[in-house]
Amino acid sequence: MMKVQILGTGCPKCKALEANAIKAIEDASLDAVIEKITDIDQIMDMGVMMTPALAVDGEVLSVGKVLNKDQVLALVKGGR
Amino acid sequence: MACSCSCGGDCKVTLLYACSGAANTGLLADQVSRALSGRGVGGMTCLSGVAAGLSGFVVSAQEADKNVVIDGCKVGCGARIFKEKGLPFEHVVITDFGVTKGETPVTAELVELVSDQIAQRIA
Repeated sequence: MMKVQILGTGCPKCKALEANAIKAIEDASLDAVIEKITDIDQIMDMGVMMTPALAVDGEVLSVGKVLNKDQVLALVKGGR
Repeated sequence: MACSCSCGGDCKVTLLYACSGAANTGLLADQVSRALSGRGVGGMTCLSGVAAGLSGFVVSAQEADKNVVIDGCKVGCGARIFKEKGLPFEHVVITDFGVTKGETPVTAELVELVSDQIAQRIA
């Protein structure tokens, strides 16, 4: 199962990205789970310097952007 | 760092990378980068993470408003890494500030002086 990770400390934009990711997964019926990473040390360990960020199975695909549902889906299905 | 989160508004994100090489110039590059980060001029992050191709570091560099690579000497290892990865950057070389590789002692005063000059250059 794919793990879609949302990196952010809990601000509104992080929550918006999470909501869009959930909707993308649900609408596309993807076999995926959402994991929220809110610990700043863990976020920094992943090299992410701007939040919100999105990663799939540990691979960071987007940084500093609130992707919409379609953008999330495009990244999750096809990489950058 | 000046701005680490896009959540708060339209702030510009400047990321700082130091070569941190073995010579006095590499040490100074590292200490200047830390000093600039402490002042809020930018956020220091890991050049080696970019070199290793770790996704978070590379994507952060792609999305930053400005990347400043601080190399110790003209060999320019940091700049070469950014060129290889196709990443945009501004280049600063410590020996351009009157520092001689293998000779000039790294002092707190020198760190302050070079930091001031770089801060003005990249502002």
